Amino acid sequence: MKLKILQNKLKKGLSIVERISVKSLTLPILNNILIKAEKNFLNLSSTDLEIGIKWWGLAKIEKEGVIVVPVRVFSNFIGLLPEKPINLKVEKQTLIIESEKYSTKIKGFNPEEFPIIPQITEGESIVIDGPSFCQGLNQVIQIPILSSARPEISGIYFSFQKDLIKIVATDSFRLGEKKLFLRKTLPLHREYSLILPQKAAKEIINIFSEKEEKLKIYFSANQILFESLMEETSHPEIRLISRLIEGEYPDYQAIFPKKSETQIILKKNEFLNQLRTASLFASKMNEVRLKTDIKKGEIEIFSQNPDLGEYRSFLPGKISGKEIEVSFNYRFLVDGLLNIKSSEVLFELNGEEGPSILKPVADPSYIYLVMPIKGT
Amino acid sequence: MNHEELWQAVLAQIQLNISQANFATWFKNTRILGEKEEEVIISVPNSFAKEWLENKYNKLIFKILHSLDEEIKGIKYEIGKTGLKVFKKSSLPILETDQLEFPEFKIDKETNLNPRYTFENFVVGPFNELPQAAAWAATKNPGLVYNPLFIYGGVGLGKTHLLQAIGNEIVKNFPKRRVKYIPCEKFTSGIINSIRNHSVESFKSKYRAIDILIIDDVQFLAGKEKTQEEFFHIFNALYEKNKQIILSSDRSPKAIPALAERLRSRFEGGMIADISLPDFETRIAILKTKAREKRVDFSDEVFSYIATKIRKNIRELEGALNRLIAHQKLKKQLPDIETTKKLLKKIIISPVKITTPKKIIQAVAGFYDLKERDLQNSSRKKEIVKPRQIAMYLLRETLKCSYPFIGRRFGGRDHTTAIHAHGKILKELEKDENLREEINLIRQRVLSV
Repeated sequence: MKLKILQNKLKKGLSIVERISVKSLTLPILNNILIKAEKNFLNLSSTDLEIGIKWWGLAKIEKEGVIVVPVRVFSNFIGLLPEKPINLKVEKQTLIIESEKYSTKIKGFNPEEFPIIPQITEGESIVIDGPSFCQGLNQVIQIPILSSARPEISGIYFSFQKDLIKIVATDSFRLGEKKLFLRKTLPLHREYSLILPQKAAKEIINIFSEKEEKLKIYFSANQILFESLMEETSHPEIRLISRLIEGEYPDYQAIFPKKSETQIILKKNEFLNQLRTASLFASKMNEVRLKTDIKKGEIEIFSQNPDLGEYRSFLPGKISGKEIEVSFNYRFLVDGLLNIKSSEVLFELNGEEGPSILKPVADPSYIYLVMPIKGT
Repeated sequence: MNHEELWQAVLAQIQLNISQANFATWFKNTRILGEKEEEVIISVPNSFAKEWLENKYNKLIFKILHSLDEEIKGIKYEIGKTGLKVFKKSSLPILETDQLEFPEFKIDKETNLNPRYTFENFVVGPFNELPQAAAWAATKNPGLVYNPLFIYGGVGLGKTHLLQAIGNEIVKNFPKRRVKYIPCEKFTSGIINSIRNHSVESFKSKYRAIDILIIDDVQFLAGKEKTQEEFFHIFNALYEKNKQIILSSDRSPKAIPALAERLRSRFEGGMIADISLPDFETRIAILKTKAREKRVDFSDEVFSYIATKIRKNIRELEGALNRLIAHQKLKKQLPDIETTKKLLKKIIISPVKITTPKKIIQAVAGFYDLKERDLQNSSRKKEIVKPRQIAMYLLRETLKCSYPFIGRRFGGRDHTTAIHAHGKILKELEKDENLREEINLIRQRVLSV
């Protein structure tokens, strides 16, 4: 293998593939990346056997070839080099890196040992707007928790329909649903519902959210592939393939309450500020108590900690329905509010033990459900 | 050599040829699924393993397989189910907080069972000993004893609890069997949807693959002919394969109106057990169990007061208890017998609802799946005459209506007709056990209309 590539291009490629490469005791090769020179491209691959990422960059290839090198040392080293062209060469399983005043050798491994990253060869595919997809995903990504007892809710649920993409996540205490209404209908023959591992979803946000590019998605039975193309030519630049989580996602629609007992409209930022101040005095359970006063048109926010003292504040709002006094984990409320973009928020409550809803006023695309803490 | 042994033999040889790390990574959770036209199908846990085995070890695997069995001409790899689900039964971490969860998430999506219902918290008394014992036997040996198991009894006596407990116990005893609990209404709407979507076959095949089918409230099959027909086929398919079927209803199979004869006889073919009303001691025991579950305790006096006042419905017992708990939370003190009396006044008095002739006629018509009009017109068809007589009897017995009034109520009949009807039912009641049961059920319905 012999090639020449720009430093910043190689650095960018490494930043995309390096994150998922992991230390593995059973298969140490996973802590490496595969470097391959083919035709006019340099190709980098990494995998943790759940996700596989491939990146291509234009390079001047003098001789095709392939090698596997440890990811950290290679990536750190390239990152420190000056922004000049770099020569890569392979001799006897050793990678030789030469740039202006540097000449370095990194010991490599046999590329035959590196896992083969699967491809999706058949099935339907769609093209969507990358940034808005990632933004939507970002609004629910923090919700799931890793749980071996309930693998199906440890991932993010997607439903791809002709004119709508639903993105849902839950940890069984709260649930977020983002709807992406599409201006152009997708050419799908059927609906696709799938559960993507949270790690893969995080990588997608990291990799694709800043690219003002179209994102192509390929569906298959147990895997999903995300692909973006190069700016310069129509060759793929990044391909991320992930395994899907087996199992059926809970029938989450059944949780949505049909109607609510109390409805409150609040200024989002004020609510957020008061919750954060209240959190300073919250007990170990993060409990914050809310109490409506319909006559005065305000809610009282109260928290107390036997060791510290107590906190009380009042927040004006438009309240209708029944008076209510209810406790929440402030973190869950804050998480929900942070993902609401509008200045006013609609807070719908269903008694002390029923699910509550937070949603932006006049925006049907986002709903956040949260369960209260049982009153003490 | 069966598939398992064959694959074991392959693995035994392969581990000599490759490194331990590679063996552990790529051959974990692999197995032989089956053979098709001289091709062996190997199940692998994910697509990475598939690519790897196909590209790197295919020759090696084939050589070994071929040496073991010369008929094998090729290998195919398929991505099967991963072992992920096996961990599922490891119990959820119990959180020490009072943070509430979405209640729907506790219900297992595949079996539809609610883990809250178990045999441990099912209180056994003389009134439900038999069904409980039958249910317990069925969980030890599903499909082989008492098939189908038919449990019936009035509202709020624990049918659903027992049914779900059977399901949960079987899941615990035989994690590999596929259990499905479904209320009859859902089953019916499933069939209707499948007819609309032209997918009846796939609907049926889904049910045929179940090992233990539990259907709650089968009395709702009454009058739904197409559902009955499809259910009949599913029932037969399962029964022939010795799959356990468990049914519940609020009345015995004989008393379910408009039920196809072939289904009725099948329902009666296994074990029929009825849950009757709990006696005083059992009611106290139930109250105490429920109180312990809710982590409260009241005086024995309070418990026995509730148990004497509420006799017919366990759900109402629980309701009364909840009321006391709510009071205790609010006032932060244990209710004594006086406050209990005051608190429960409303619940205890309300069962004595005012019954009207209209309600009785409605209930009778509903029970026999007839229209109210049918009872009042002049038809003398046998299937209408008897319900009409029962309605007349009930009007006389519960409301003490005069015979001429009853006659007028049923399309201007003579008062002698009413006298005859009343006398006839009265006489039949003496010897006909089923009729007595039917009338009891109708009475319950009158109160719940």
